[in-house]
Amino acid sequence: MRAATDVTLLGRRRVALALGALSLGALAGGCGERNAGRAPGAVVLRHPKLFGDPRPLDTLLAGFERAAGVHVRRATLPASSDEQHLFYAINLQARSTEFDVLALDAIWAAEFAQAGWLRDLSHRLAAEERADLFPGPLAAVTWRGRVYALPWFADAGLLYYRTDLLERHHLAPPRTWDDLVAAAHAVTRAASDVHGFVWQGKQYEGLVCNALEFVWSHGGGLDEADVPAAARGLAFMRSLVTANVTPDYVTTLTEEPTRVAFGRGGALFLRNWPYAWRLFERADSPVRGRVGVSVLPHAPGAAPAATLGGWQLGVNAFSPRPEAAERLAAFLTAAPAQKALALAYGYSPPRRSLYADAELAAAQPFLPRLRAVLEAARPRPVSPHYVALSQTLQAEFSAVLVGERAPEAALAAIGRAAAALERR
Amino acid sequence: MKAARFESAPFLAPAAALLAVVTAVPMAYVVWLSLEVRTPFRAPAFVGLDNYLRLASDGRFWNALWNTAYFTAASVALELVLGLAVALAVARAGRTRALVYGAILVPWAIPTVVSARMWEWMYNPETGVLNYLLGARVNWLGDPTWALHAAIAMDVWKSTPFVALLLLAGLQGIPRDLYRAAATDGASAWTAFVRVTLPLLMPVILVAAVFRTIDALRVFDAVYVLTGGGPANGTETLSIYAYKVLFQTLDFGYGSALAVAMLAVAAAATLAYARLLREGAA
Repeated sequence: MRAATDVTLLGRRRVALALGALSLGALAGGCGERNAGRAPGAVVLRHPKLFGDPRPLDTLLAGFERAAGVHVRRATLPASSDEQHLFYAINLQARSTEFDVLALDAIWAAEFAQAGWLRDLSHRLAAEERADLFPGPLAAVTWRGRVYALPWFADAGLLYYRTDLLERHHLAPPRTWDDLVAAAHAVTRAASDVHGFVWQGKQYEGLVCNALEFVWSHGGGLDEADVPAAARGLAFMRSLVTANVTPDYVTTLTEEPTRVAFGRGGALFLRNWPYAWRLFERADSPVRGRVGVSVLPHAPGAAPAATLGGWQLGVNAFSPRPEAAERLAAFLTAAPAQKALALAYGYSPPRRSLYADAELAAAQPFLPRLRAVLEAARPRPVSPHYVALSQTLQAEFSAVLVGERAPEAALAAIGRAAAALERR
Repeated sequence: MKAARFESAPFLAPAAALLAVVTAVPMAYVVWLSLEVRTPFRAPAFVGLDNYLRLASDGRFWNALWNTAYFTAASVALELVLGLAVALAVARAGRTRALVYGAILVPWAIPTVVSARMWEWMYNPETGVLNYLLGARVNWLGDPTWALHAAIAMDVWKSTPFVALLLLAGLQGIPRDLYRAAATDGASAWTAFVRVTLPLLMPVILVAAVFRTIDALRVFDAVYVLTGGGPANGTETLSIYAYKVLFQTLDFGYGSALAVAMLAVAAAATLAYARLLREGAA
């Protein structure tokens, strides 16, 4: 694994440089350790671990170095989302200059912008570029009318279904939730070892993504005006368990257990992220060639919805070389770089034009099928208090799911918590 | 006397300094933080007891406190009873004792996160061994009434060996003569247990209870790996709540207040045990 070696080397070099800087600092009266560990002038990119060979990204970065005449170094983030968030918060609160371009999870832009940690990048996104982006990713990086990060790649929840099981029962892929429930009943009556619909119901961030999709696809939202429809969405979520469409232990399930259950043929429908597709189509997969995907179903009269995930690139407000950092962020999020990353890693780009790209469609045949899903993708509440709000959302949605709380009561509690966070 | 105290001061100083640096100063700092508002968005500001007032009206805090107290009471009680039973059995094991020693220590030796994963698999409703053996379909970790008990069961499995080991050491400290004397007086095995073993073992039992109570009050990894605090916050303990506030929300002021509250609970429990120990000695 080259990325791993890079990091150790980097670590060693940093220690050596730090020691050197310390002794120099002692001579020079305490200055000189500020830039320890980085080549002078290098722009540092922080990004999550890549799923695959790091060479395509390095090739991209080398191209930028030649064209822009600046050095670029990259370093991976810690593995878990909590650690990444904490890493950024600790460093940025201390006005760190250790990195210039930072990859942000879909839910962090408003928080970091409000804290003053991100440069305003509105001028880096021309009108025609904004028109090319899907609305969800653009909304996720917009805070108080300004853009604080550039969408890098997008993820969204979608429906996986077993084409063979549906065909055996002469059923079409579901368009509405009622279709899905009817199909699940028809198939599970005939095959008792198959679950109807599995999704992520453990009390964690994934439950928020799933529950919001139920809420939105019933025409609801978390604002007060949307409460009646939102309550219908949550009631539907609960009814999946009581009607035996979804097993009761959905309250323990995260992405991987549901992917594994569906992947070994144990479920008719699955809600998951796009990553699962490649695993279902592997040569040794029992469901290979028997999986279809579509946008998640919706209630009659409401639009389909998907929760947005993915990554965005922001620029550290304390970066000593903001111009070069902004150029790197813009370069990596422009169509050519996004295409290269999509070709190499299958990452789904957030811009519509690339879904009409013939070369990309030939190399990644799954990508065009994501277009409708990403078109429907919506960000979780864009708020500087999102992380705190999410803890309330997780607990309240979980309480509805286990039948401890009525949907209306949960939504009222969420409204109170959101209002309290705004006051704080 | 005064002179002796003065002379001893330099010898005590290193220990005192070490304690101050690693315990007193960080603790004082946490208390100080708990009197401040500290979030990513605002300059730190002193707010007096505001965080504690917020704590008093925070339903989630009382829920976490209840979960922690329930977890502690149930797990410590079970561990003491089972640990005593195991210790009494092992004390009679004779030549196989070394083997038994090793066997009972295994759960204690496995890292908590690893054993929590193991239990997570055993608790799996479809593929787990527990439901297979019981022939049932219990949603152990996903049902609000079962989840906390499932976590307690894992903690009991893990920590009973520790209690057993401590009590075994205590049992071996009881002079054999007392049992012979009791037998001579015609005491039954039960009477000897109640009149000889238990009273003489009581100081060790209390020490084991103190250790286990403080550990159980701080429980984090076992529950966090099993359930993450859910469902419906049904297994959210004080540590998990504090972790989420400190390391997810980054609300260091309120999180510190939670930590101080935990400290207060642990201190109260320790003082209660200390009083019991003193009464036992008197």
